[in-house]
Amino acid sequence: MKKHDLSVFEIEKEGFRLKLQRGGSASQAATTAPAAAGGPDRGPVAAAGPPPPAAKAIETVPMKEIVSPMVGTFYLAASPDTPPFVQVGKPVTEDSVVCIIEAMKVMNEIKAETSGVIAEVLAENGKPVQFGQALFRVR
Amino acid sequence: MFQKVLVANRGEIALRVIRACKELGVRTLAVYSEADVDSLHVQLADEAICIGAAPSLESYLKIDRIMSAAEIGDVDAIHPGYGFLAENPHFVEVCESCNIKFIGPSSRAMQSMGDKNAARAAARKVGVPVTPGSDGIVETEEEAMKIARKLGYPVMIKAAGGGGGRGMRAAHNEPSLKSAFHGARHEAQKAFGNDQVYLEKLIVNPRHIEFQIMADRHGRTIHLGERDCSIQRRNQKVIEECPSPVMTPGLRRKMGNAAVKLAKSVGYENAGTIEFLLDRDRHFYFMEMNTRIQVEHPVTEEVYGCDLVKEQIRIAAGESLSPHVARAEPRLHAIECRINAEDAANNFQATPGRIDFYYAPGGRGVRIDSHVYTGYTVPPYYDSLIAKIITVGATRINAIDRMRRALDEYYITGIKTTVPFHAAMMRDTDFREGNYDTGFIDRLISAGKLNLTSRPLRLHE
Repeated sequence: MKKHDLSVFEIEKEGFRLKLQRGGSASQAATTAPAAAGGPDRGPVAAAGPPPPAAKAIETVPMKEIVSPMVGTFYLAASPDTPPFVQVGKPVTEDSVVCIIEAMKVMNEIKAETSGVIAEVLAENGKPVQFGQALFRVR
Repeated sequence: MFQKVLVANRGEIALRVIRACKELGVRTLAVYSEADVDSLHVQLADEAICIGAAPSLESYLKIDRIMSAAEIGDVDAIHPGYGFLAENPHFVEVCESCNIKFIGPSSRAMQSMGDKNAARAAARKVGVPVTPGSDGIVETEEEAMKIARKLGYPVMIKAAGGGGGRGMRAAHNEPSLKSAFHGARHEAQKAFGNDQVYLEKLIVNPRHIEFQIMADRHGRTIHLGERDCSIQRRNQKVIEECPSPVMTPGLRRKMGNAAVKLAKSVGYENAGTIEFLLDRDRHFYFMEMNTRIQVEHPVTEEVYGCDLVKEQIRIAAGESLSPHVARAEPRLHAIECRINAEDAANNFQATPGRIDFYYAPGGRGVRIDSHVYTGYTVPPYYDSLIAKIITVGATRINAIDRMRRALDEYYITGIKTTVPFHAAMMRDTDFREGNYDTGFIDRLISAGKLNLTSRPLRLHE
């Protein structure tokens, strides 16, 4: 970014969020919450690159993940004609139902078990998910 | 033939099943725990689904998650391997009700032979000799004492719902019977959730001889000879061979016919093993039946020239017994050594951990069934079997010397293994002469006569 003459630089990646603005001396990159290994893609987890030097990090927010406790098919809504339980930006508490996982014809309501705001929907509606697979990212 | 099979197991047997499927052109779906993410069989399977956390109770024993994976994967059949759910009649029933073929016997046949006491009754019914024992479950210690007096000491108290050498206690005289009786019940309750026990006369220093059964769904049941599995440490098999050094054609015919008769009487289908004890006077007694494929199946495969796992899949798919299997005759001699992640020099303590370097032997007549590789971490949650090495020879001594030669090439670092133990056994005079029984290893170890030798290679790591 104009050879470190940054104005604003924001990145959200595997488990961390980093925002840089033009500043003085040492840089600092904070990474938290290592990414879960789940997902049907068995490829290696992409590593985050080093932060640009001579910039100061202003805001780093740890991200949490809601992972699947079972094997089944993921649905964002209770039925095709009802609205989804959550979307990006929706605040959740531990008891909020975030999705349905259908296993052997039984519809299981999955609770957030964490609190925050939905930052990203990771699983695909109507597709199978496995145990431990990341479903949502929560800020 | 099936389009897709789910492999409900892990480690070397999961790899074994996947290999058989691949050769038959059948697609595979592996289910795995979080501890087995890097497992070889998971990578070789066409598809893989994670079904839970590392502990078996939270993954490989979770019937609902396995069935869910089967549904998602749209599989036709499930192969259970050995251990885990392989001898769980309820699991078979669930498969049956979901219209997914369980590669093994029906739930009814499994049930009738799975209960060890009911299996003895089934044997008695068709005139197969059983170890003298109680007529059924023994409820009280008074009853146990009465029966033990009639049988004569020593006696063995065994769990009706058990197997694999667990939930058993020996009593050599009346004063020790009471504690043995209650001890066995307690252990049985803990291990199998069922404290029912029965009594058997303890046959002193028997040989453990088991017969391989294969039955198709068109009424054809055959046996593929015997395996001698007498080399055991604490009731766990460590070395197996085919044929048994003490077998004769006449005895094989008698025992084989008894095994087939028993399997037929319960409507058995697919692969199974009938275990007998052979006493010093060459009397044989039915002990129990294992209603699954066994760890040591490769020695039978090498001697009888067949692929038992492929045959299991074929039979489950409705095919008749393959002609080459039906008319198989024993040729050559085979030995299997179970390589465990255990420290033979330290009371066989389990040594899970990362395998820094792995080099397996090769050459003529050497077969390795293993899922491990350099850099693989042996997890602590499951059994310690990391490899089976099988050697084949024209004669028994050829097979033993070949095993001795091969074991000297086996190079595994990072963890301790039982390779040195097996190397010592191949040099042991009594073993080489075929002069052993089920008490052999324990006696050798307690007498401090186990001469662990290893001539390690120095390989650039």
